[in-house]
Amino acid sequence: MSTDTPLNRRQISRELTRIANASVRDVLDTIGHSEAPAAFRIGITGPPGGGKSTLINALVKDRLKNRSDTRLAVLAIDPSSPVSGGAILGDRIRMDAIADLPGLYLRSLSSRGARNGLCDNIVDLLTLLETHGFDEVVLETVGVGQSEVAVHEVVDTLVVIVPPDAGDSVQTMKSGILEMADIVVVTKADQPGARRMASDLAAVLRKRGDRDVPVLQTEAEGAGVAALNQAINDHRAWLAANHPHALTRENRRRYHLQALIERQVQDALKAKGDITRGTLTASYDRLLAALRVK
Amino acid sequence: MTLEKKRILIAKPGLDGHDVGAKVIALALRDAGAEVIYTGLRRSPEQIVRIAVDEDVDMLGLSILSGSHKELATSIIARLREEDAGDIKVFVGGTIPEEDFEALRAEGVSGIFTSEMTIESVIAEVDSQLS
Ligand SMILES: Nc1nc2c(ncn2[C@@H]2O[C@H](COP(=O)(O)OP(=O)(O)O)[C@@H](O)[C@H]2O)c(=O)[nH]1
Ligand SMILES: [Mg+2]
Repeated sequence: MSTDTPLNRRQISRELTRIANASVRDVLDTIGHSEAPAAFRIGITGPPGGGKSTLINALVKDRLKNRSDTRLAVLAIDPSSPVSGGAILGDRIRMDAIADLPGLYLRSLSSRGARNGLCDNIVDLLTLLETHGFDEVVLETVGVGQSEVAVHEVVDTLVVIVPPDAGDSVQTMKSGILEMADIVVVTKADQPGARRMASDLAAVLRKRGDRDVPVLQTEAEGAGVAALNQAINDHRAWLAANHPHALTRENRRRYHLQALIERQVQDALKAKGDITRGTLTASYDRLLAALRVK
Repeated sequence: MTLEKKRILIAKPGLDGHDVGAKVIALALRDAGAEVIYTGLRRSPEQIVRIAVDEDVDMLGLSILSGSHKELATSIIARLREEDAGDIKVFVGGTIPEEDFEALRAEGVSGIFTSEMTIESVIAEVDSQLS
């Protein structure tokens, strides 16, 4: 769905800002009628400092090599400060090698208080990018812990990274985000312990579900990255062959609807202090009524 | 949270390799509620303008210690206008002699910060210009 016309960066970035700050009604007015095809979405998650941004730099450089007509967007989320609500968005610093590519659009996002490793309106932003004809989107989450598995719901292929020095955090990841992984990558493979970590993880992950989860090793300078891109393409082909429904817009609708309604509920609870009066049933009915008014 | 949801790019154009001042300002802006993007060292005017456009910032702060503030600010502001992004407010900070203030303002620079100013006054100035 790529075109030869250059990206209209100014327009795309302004629309993203607007929709990031918009009410649910405004979101629906902007993207609610879109018939744009789903972009292929790749999620990169793993602990803070684990090497996610550095990996995206090498990964996207390799992905866009010899594919000058591909439009690829990177959305990189960093945590907001719980005290001020502000944020330092520093993922870009590691993405030097791709920053100038013509087909690339790179946007830094604040989690704005969301605690699931994403930001509350991430699906709105992803859908908006689709209306601008992006073929692929790479999403970097806030470093995740055990419970932050929401990213699995919004991407097609989830890459979970583990640095060689992850130590105890691997234990918590095993019964959490690692269970969601389509591909596992041990980053910083130039450092001691990487091979050991990779074989430990491979032992844990072997024979789970209907597909083997590959465990790869990568380095900042690019070693192992071509193999990762191959694994991503293989996973996409596997999805298309075995779970064709998974790659469609309709399948994403559920999560999107849920995200929108959660925001409506939050807004209603904030705006109307009297909703919680009386019995539980009375409150519930009042909340439903408040939602319908919008 | 005066700067809530404001997006600010702190950029280091030119060749000097000192970014302590830029980082101090970035953290202070964050503590005032802003979403602050930092470019890292030694970015070209082209790169800085592309980042400012892609990130749709309200303000671009240039940290310049090399003495070439006039050339760099002029070139960046011209490119922003070319990209239909002339509404992004440009601030310059660093070692800027007072006799250059007027020329910078004439080029379209919205604010000038020197090391003599307190962080509080810098934040207050940004806040008044962005609200
Ligand atoms: N030795 C080594 N260091 C790396 C590698 N990849 C990333 N790093 C370093 O790890 C730190 C965190 O990297 P970053 O990509 O920002 O991690 P993120 O927080 O997961 O996005 C930085 O100091 C990187 O330079 C690697 O392959 N080898
Ligand atoms: Mg990062």
